[in-house]
Amino acid sequence: MAQKQGAIEIAGIESIRKSLSDRPFFYRLLINSGRFVVRKPLGGFGVLVIGIVIFAALSADVISRYDPELSFSAAKPDCTAEQAAEIVVSPTGQVTTKPPISICFDPILALQAQEEPLVRLKLTTASPDRIQTGERTLVSVSPSSEHWLGTDLSGRDLWSRIVYGARLALVIGLGASLVAVLLGTTLGVVSGFFGGVADMAIQRVVDSFQAFPPFILLLLFTQTVDKPNKYFLAFVLGLVGIAGVVRITRSAVLSAKEDVYVLAARTIGASDTRIMARHVLPNIFSPIIVVFTSAIGAYILAEAGLAFIGLGDPLAISWGKMVNEGRALGPAKPLMALFVGLALTVTVLGFNLAGDALRDVLDPRLRGRGGRAGF
Amino acid sequence: MQAYIIRRALINIPVILLVATLVFFATSVLPGDYVLQRLTSNDSVENATPEQRIKHLADVRKELGLADPVGVRYVKYMGRLLKGDFGTSFANGQPALEPFRDGIPYTAQLGLMTLFVAISTSLPIGVLAAIRQDSWPDYILRVFSILALAMPNFWVATMILLYVVRWGLWEVPITTHPLLWEDPAGSIKLFGIPALAGGLAAGAGIMRLMRSQMLEVLRQDYIRTAWAKGVRERVVVLRHALKNAMVPVLTAMGLTLAGIIGGNVVFESLFNIPGVGFKILDAIRARDIAVVQSFVIVIASFIVFVNLGIDLLYGFLDPRIHYS
Repeated sequence: MAQKQGAIEIAGIESIRKSLSDRPFFYRLLINSGRFVVRKPLGGFGVLVIGIVIFAALSADVISRYDPELSFSAAKPDCTAEQAAEIVVSPTGQVTTKPPISICFDPILALQAQEEPLVRLKLTTASPDRIQTGERTLVSVSPSSEHWLGTDLSGRDLWSRIVYGARLALVIGLGASLVAVLLGTTLGVVSGFFGGVADMAIQRVVDSFQAFPPFILLLLFTQTVDKPNKYFLAFVLGLVGIAGVVRITRSAVLSAKEDVYVLAARTIGASDTRIMARHVLPNIFSPIIVVFTSAIGAYILAEAGLAFIGLGDPLAISWGKMVNEGRALGPAKPLMALFVGLALTVTVLGFNLAGDALRDVLDPRLRGRGGRAGF
Repeated sequence: MQAYIIRRALINIPVILLVATLVFFATSVLPGDYVLQRLTSNDSVENATPEQRIKHLADVRKELGLADPVGVRYVKYMGRLLKGDFGTSFANGQPALEPFRDGIPYTAQLGLMTLFVAISTSLPIGVLAAIRQDSWPDYILRVFSILALAMPNFWVATMILLYVVRWGLWEVPITTHPLLWEDPAGSIKLFGIPALAGGLAAGAGIMRLMRSQMLEVLRQDYIRTAWAKGVRERVVVLRHALKNAMVPVLTAMGLTLAGIIGGNVVFESLFNIPGVGFKILDAIRARDIAVVQSFVIVIASFIVFVNLGIDLLYGFLDPRIHYS
C-alpha cells in the first residue's frame, strides 16, 4: 500500500511524527547542530568560542569602548568633560586646544594612576606630540573601570586592542587555510588522479617543502615584500601549509578513483576534468573540510610567532606583537602579556576543539591525527 | 634493504636540489640587496655626488657577483653547490658556513633539550592516558595536551621568564649564554625555559597521536592473546603494545623535529642565544643571501636524512615491514 509522505493519520493516534528529513532546512540545521553539541560537548564549546571571536571581530567598532590606536594620558580630576573635549587632536597629529593643555593635565595624578588603579581618572587623548611636551601618558596602568584590562606601553586601551586583534587572527586563520586548501586540493587531485610524471614532480616539490623547517620557509617568504600586509601573510602561510593538504587529498583521490562510479563515468565517456570535478572531488569532500578546519589554529599561532619576533604586518594590531610588547614591559607588569596570550590561547583552542569534533563526525579514519600542521 | 637505502638516498638528492632552487629564487626576490642594505647606511665614499654613489654601488655589486642576471647567477650558484662550495658571506668574506658552525652547538643543545622534554612528556602521558582510558587521569592528561597544543610556545616561554624574574626563582643569564659543558647550572637556567615551553608544545601533538595509536593497538587480537597467556601488564603494554604503536608516532616525531628547529628561531631571538636560528634571522635581515642559502640547504639535508633514518627504524620496530 502506497503511503502518503508526511504525517500519517491512524485512528486513535493523533499523528506519527514526521521524519527529520521531511522537515524544513533550518529546522534540520537546528536539530543537527543540537545533536552535534550533545554528542561532542567540547566541539560545541569550540564552536561557541569561534562564535565569540567572530562576533568580536565583526563588532569591534561597537564593543571595543575606545579607538585602539588612541593613547591616553591622565587629566586633572577637576577638569570638566567640556574642557577635556576642547583638546582636539586632528588626524595629522596637530593639537588644537582652547585652554592651555596644563589645565587638564596633572602629572602627579598621572604618576599615581600608574601605580594605583583606584585613582579615578578623567581621560583625554594624547598624540605623540603631546607626549613630548611632557604630558604623562598612562603607560601600562593596571586594570580599572575605565580600562578593563589596563593600558599598553603607549597608553592605549588593552581591551580595545585585544578586540581588534581578533580581526587579524580571523583573516590569517581562515585566509591561510583557504589558500592552502584551494591550491593543495588542486595539486593533490591532479597528482593522485593522473599519476605518472605529474605525480612524481608534484610529490618531489611537496617533499622539498616538507624538508624546510616550516617557520624558516615562512621567514623567507614573508621577507619577499617590504611591508607584508595581512592578506599577503595569509597567502604565504597557506603556501607553506600546502604540503600537508596535497598529501591528504592525494591519498583520498587514490582510493576514490578506484571506485566503481568512476569506472562507470569513464565507460559512458566522461572526460577527465568532468570525472575529477563531478565524481572524485565530491567524494573526498570530508577530508578536505577536516584539513581546512583543523589547521586554522596552527596558522593563527604561526602568524603570532612571526609578529612576536617583529616580522609580521607592521601596521596591524596583532596579538603576537602585543605579547612581545607585554614582555618589553618587564617582570613588574606581566598582566598585559598574560591577557593577550590568553586571548590567543582561547581562540586557537576553540578552532582546535571544533576542528577535532568535526573530524570525528566527518572522517573517523583520521581520528587522533590532530596536530599543528607542522608548525 | 641496502638497495632500498640507496634508492631513498638517491631520491633525496633531487629534493635537496629543489630546496636549493627554491631558496635561491626566494632570496633573489627579496626587496633590496645586501649592498643597498649595508652601504647606504654607512657609505665609505663621503661627499660623493649621486652619480659617484651609484657607480660605487654598482662596483661593489659587481665585486660580490650580484650584477649578473638572475639566470646566470643561478647557474653559477648550482655549479658551485655541486662542487660542495657554499659561497662566501658578504658580511665578512668568510665561508658562508662559518656562522653555521659557530651556531650549531647552541642550536643542537636547545634542540636536544626540547626533544628530550617533548619525548619524556609525550610518550609516558600518551601511554598512561590510553591504558587508563576514560578515567580521571585520562581526562586530566587529555585536557593538558589540548591546552599545550593551543598555547603559543613563545607566550609560555615569555610568561615563565617574566614570573621567574618577578618571583626571583633564579637569575636568567640574558647577557651571557653558557653551553652545558661550560657552565651546567647557568646553561640549564637559560635553556631550560625555552626547552620546556617548546618541548611541551611539540610533545602535545605526539601525546595525542600516541594515545590514539595505543588505543587502537590495545584492541588487537595479539594483545588479547598476550593477556590470556598471563603476561604481566608492564610487558603487555611496553613490549607488545608500545612497540607496535610507535611506527606512526616516529613519523610524527620526524615532522616535530623540523618544527623544533624552526621554533628555535623564535626562542633564540627571545633569549639572545647565538644559535643557527638567530644567525639565519640576522642573515635574512641583512640580505646576506649566501649565508641564508647555505643554512637552509644544510638544515633541509639534515631533516631529509633524519626522516630517512626514521623510515629505516620502522623495520626494527615492526619486522612485518619490508623495504622493497
